[in-house]
Amino acid sequence: MLDPIILAQILWTGIATSAPYVLLTAGFALTLKVTSLWNFAQAGLMAIAFYAMFFCLNVLAWPVFAAIGAAVVLTGAAALAVEVWGLQVLRQRRSGNLTFFIFTLILSEFVIYVITLLFGTEPQTLFKSILSPVAIIGNIAVSDWDKLAVATAAAGLAALWLFMTRTREGQFLVAVADNAKLAELYGISAQRAYRVVAVIAALFIVGAMYLVGSHGGIVPNTPMELVLTAVIATLLGGIGRVFAAAAAAVVLALIQSFSILLIASRWQNLLLYGFLFAAILLFPRGVRVPRLRLAGARR
Amino acid sequence: MEYLSTIGILIAIYVILAASYNLVIGYGGLATVAHPIFFAIGAYVSGLLAIHTSLPPPVTVLVGAACAMLASLLLAASALRVSGDYLLIASLGFQLGLLQLIKNLEFTGGPGGLGGIPATIVGPARTPAYLVIAALLAIATVFAIRALVRGPYGRAITAMRDEELAFTALGRNAMSMKLVIFAIGCGIAGVAGGLYAFYFQYVSPDQFEVLQSAAILTMVVLGGMGTAFGPVVGAVLLLAIPQAITFLQLPPSIMAPMQGIIFTVLVLVFLFLRPAGIMGHAGRRRRTAGLT
Repeated sequence: MLDPIILAQILWTGIATSAPYVLLTAGFALTLKVTSLWNFAQAGLMAIAFYAMFFCLNVLAWPVFAAIGAAVVLTGAAALAVEVWGLQVLRQRRSGNLTFFIFTLILSEFVIYVITLLFGTEPQTLFKSILSPVAIIGNIAVSDWDKLAVATAAAGLAALWLFMTRTREGQFLVAVADNAKLAELYGISAQRAYRVVAVIAALFIVGAMYLVGSHGGIVPNTPMELVLTAVIATLLGGIGRVFAAAAAAVVLALIQSFSILLIASRWQNLLLYGFLFAAILLFPRGVRVPRLRLAGARR
Repeated sequence: MEYLSTIGILIAIYVILAASYNLVIGYGGLATVAHPIFFAIGAYVSGLLAIHTSLPPPVTVLVGAACAMLASLLLAASALRVSGDYLLIASLGFQLGLLQLIKNLEFTGGPGGLGGIPATIVGPARTPAYLVIAALLAIATVFAIRALVRGPYGRAITAMRDEELAFTALGRNAMSMKLVIFAIGCGIAGVAGGLYAFYFQYVSPDQFEVLQSAAILTMVVLGGMGTAFGPVVGAVLLLAIPQAITFLQLPPSIMAPMQGIIFTVLVLVFLFLRPAGIMGHAGRRRRTAGLT
């Protein structure tokens, strides 16, 4: 019989660990929703975000907020550059899916090689120590990092929801996502929407990479694994459903966390890829949870 | 000389890989990126059989190719139900999942790779002999695929790729044709894997990761997708040019990323300056699998 406290601890740790994946998935899914692109270049942006913060903190000895600010500027500029000088050119040429796939993947690999050349392949963390003070709340160990991670993810999603539903710019994004040509007929610039999405995704990426980099070691190749998790969550959540994709990221992290009760941790990634394969074959439109209907609500 | 011959063998192996991938993606229009996993299956099966049995090397290579074909049918039978982006991502999941399996199994050598594959040819003639074998196999592959796609079956493949609905309406079975193309292409990749395992005597899962998918895809695209000799040009160009800096005698920590940077820059430059590929032309490029 499993101890409920252990189960609760795994649940909490799983939720906290999912926070960076939630942010990455939200950025990835939003980009896919608005631009209709599986943007693997986000792996390169993740690498830029992390190593920019790492350089500012450890080489220039800047304070944390300055390092995060520098990463936001650099990652945002890189995201815009990819959009303007890369994706926009390919769109104008009416390039096919494979061209976009190759471009975004190879661009990420290019960034990763440059970073490998500059920083080597040793795992790096943002801070010298990744230990975080722990408090015991109801017999569950809750670290400061856990609280920061959950708060950041929740704040990021809430801000995105408010932006998408309460601002004109956000509604323009939804219009472009629904039908870019029709939106343009109504005077909404699709190009502007794509750039706004690039910047939003960059913000989410910086937030996520701060959390990942302050919790464990990162090597230049780590972002490729992170982007695949975002792909799987996006598929499970359903293309075009950003918040469902973010929820799927939490579910994936929880499944991985609880899987340690049944299988060795080295098989966790296989579980993830199994989900990817199954998600596409069984739920190509995402997993849809039936809405609960109260008895007698409709007569 | 030994070094140049080794590069020649590597180029020949990649010509086989790129040509077989071209059959699947360029002629068949099946947008998968899992080709390196069939290369891996061929390499691992041949290597394991060579270590644990006394089967002659050509037989182990053929068994490796057969296993790659079987695995391809496993992927195709399930994943060909979906198409476009979904097939691309499903094949990626299949590839990474199998790689994870290889990394975690003990008999495959785990993440450290499989070493100790016996040398089938020994002595000073080893590298030249492998170079001849690899070059002959590469030439045979390119011309066999060329003959296949130029014949009546090839015209059916093109018709299926360009107008699947019309093709099916004429009573032809598109699914079985896709399965055949996929199996042939992946089987040939398995042969390339066997050749690789016997020459280098060591295989590791890292050699078959996503970057390998991008590399083979890039060779096909840059050379000219759906052209017989495009993959040859792509493989030669993308393998030979990054090797040029080897002569600078840089330390490995600089050499490897520098070669990667040269490779990726070449891809990006060609992607924007020559999107139809070096051997491709505008008329053909619109008919290939979602690529212009």
